[in-house]
Amino acid sequence: MPPLLPQLRSRRLLVVTGKGGVGKTTMAAVLAVTLADAGRRVLLLEADPRENAHQLFDVPPSAGEIVQVSPRLALQNLSPRRVMDEVVRERLRLEVLVRRVLASPVYEHFAGGAPGLKEVALLGHAWRVLHGRAAATGRVDTVVLDAPATGHGVSLLRAPALVTEVIRSGPFARMARDISSLVGDASRCAVAVVTTLQEMPVQEALELLETLPGLLGRPLDVVVANAVLPPLARGADEADAAAEVWRRMHGAQQRELQRLKRGWDGPLVALPLLPLPAGRALVEALQRRWQEEAA
Amino acid sequence: MIAEPLVVVVGGGGVGKTTVAAALGVASARGGSATLVETFDPSRRLKDALGVGEEAADRPVAVPFETPAELCASLLDAKGTFDRLVVRYAPDAAARRRILDNRFYRHLSGSLAGVLEYMAVERLYELSEERRFSRIVLDTPPTAQALDFLNAPERIVAFLDSGALRIALKPWFDPRGRLAPTRRLGVLGRGVEAFFDTVVGLDLLKDMWEFFQAFAPLFDGFRGRALAVQALLRRPETVFVLVASAAHERIPDTLFFARKLAERGLRLAAVVLNRIHPELPPPPDGLAPAWAEQRRLLAWLGERDARGVAALKALLGSLPVVELPLVAEEPSTLPALERMADLLAARWPAVP
Repeated sequence: MPPLLPQLRSRRLLVVTGKGGVGKTTMAAVLAVTLADAGRRVLLLEADPRENAHQLFDVPPSAGEIVQVSPRLALQNLSPRRVMDEVVRERLRLEVLVRRVLASPVYEHFAGGAPGLKEVALLGHAWRVLHGRAAATGRVDTVVLDAPATGHGVSLLRAPALVTEVIRSGPFARMARDISSLVGDASRCAVAVVTTLQEMPVQEALELLETLPGLLGRPLDVVVANAVLPPLARGADEADAAAEVWRRMHGAQQRELQRLKRGWDGPLVALPLLPLPAGRALVEALQRRWQEEAA
Repeated sequence: MIAEPLVVVVGGGGVGKTTVAAALGVASARGGSATLVETFDPSRRLKDALGVGEEAADRPVAVPFETPAELCASLLDAKGTFDRLVVRYAPDAAARRRILDNRFYRHLSGSLAGVLEYMAVERLYELSEERRFSRIVLDTPPTAQALDFLNAPERIVAFLDSGALRIALKPWFDPRGRLAPTRRLGVLGRGVEAFFDTVVGLDLLKDMWEFFQAFAPLFDGFRGRALAVQALLRRPETVFVLVASAAHERIPDTLFFARKLAERGLRLAAVVLNRIHPELPPPPDGLAPAWAEQRRLLAWLGERDARGVAALKALLGSLPVVELPLVAEEPSTLPALERMADLLAARWPAVP
């Protein structure tokens, strides 16, 4: 198997997906830092309105703006609505029309209810950034997209097809087609599935691994198992109750790991559970482990 | 444990909400109340444990379990629930078909934020009206923000409140859904025209227009129902159980949600802190270095959760906090669910 990192290095878009609560944002941050260290100019795009990514870098929250984390790494938290408004502005140009449309109930219903549109707007922003069409981002080599935790991980990547089905013309239809070709191209886009070794997250990861290749017409790139416990250390005191706790937790994880491996024989990176709160130290420690594992 | 007939189990994703709901159901049936656990996307093993498969979609199925009163489980079918609402309020078969066959409607139930959450509560209302069970435990869908659940009915009603949209779209389509001549529209029309033509595309607009047009006769009935559903959550027979992680960094979210429930006049029976890592006694001397490191990690997890529990208890004041220890594997057999039910019963605050 060729080393993973050089493979990911050449991609323009990295989509990080998986069930809520498995550490997606942290993994997206680890990947973003790793690629920035490898010389890429990276934008980490977060979609969760609660904003967590900035805490991993000790920078202020983004509130939609670009926040520079390091010379080659920037962070942006983006609401889909903002992207849609931007598209409307671009298309209509005339401020009086723009204001009228943005305030109209038709637009409100369209933006709030058109199936798949929010997801397409997020991916569409990534596409625009990569093609130099988004305001104020500068040149970006790679966008790392921390997929929204709402509902099921598959909904983000299914959205372009859905939008193409319900919106047949206009800029959003074009956006959906552009994204479909970007996401469906394994030489330009990578998809990473993150999971913890627990039943439900593994279940969802397996469903993603089964569904997405057919949906996108391409294989997925890597599965990241997060918060993994190593086997009980040699020399552990068998009489110590803690050893038994460790053994049981590790055993349960191993059963899920085996299940995961039955459904996935591609690259699998296991990252350890570390006694660190969410923050820069955790990202750095995981990044070191990622580089060892992925080498 | 819980005296009220309707129990809504809420919480963020990945906290073991579905398992706690199932265990509450077991406890309730063992206490002699005919109980239904209405759940959403349980794990495969939990489905097996409860003995429910696809046949339980929208339909209570008996759980093979010896209890003084029957225990049933059912899986939420959001689309089916929405379809039944359409059928209930459509004035005739033609109106019903126009909605059910509409392309926009068919995608709506899967994509509009809040539909799933709303249909869960709608289903609770439907089931409570049937009066077949003396207790219903509702496991709510995972939401990015647990709060979405609370205002879902309002949001959907606002979305379906088609009056504004019908007026805005009226000049555009004639009553038969054909595009009307546009030159009569004046300045406002030209603004909207630019929007339609260049941004949205007319196909979708036509689908949307037809949908809202078809939905108009249902709207009053639908809104009345939504108000009743929303009111059900505030009735004295309904209580909430908030399931959360004990990890110290999750406490602000939990507290925020507990406060929002109170602000809305919803009654929180208890906060269940699930999967609490055990606190360890201090390490003995002379541990092997590798084991000492692993033990430090366990100690860190135990200490983090203990801090979380203490902080939450201090902040919640008189509100009961039920602590559930971490078990190696998520309970997914009936005996394991029984053990969790025992634990819940033992730690549940006494009903005054």
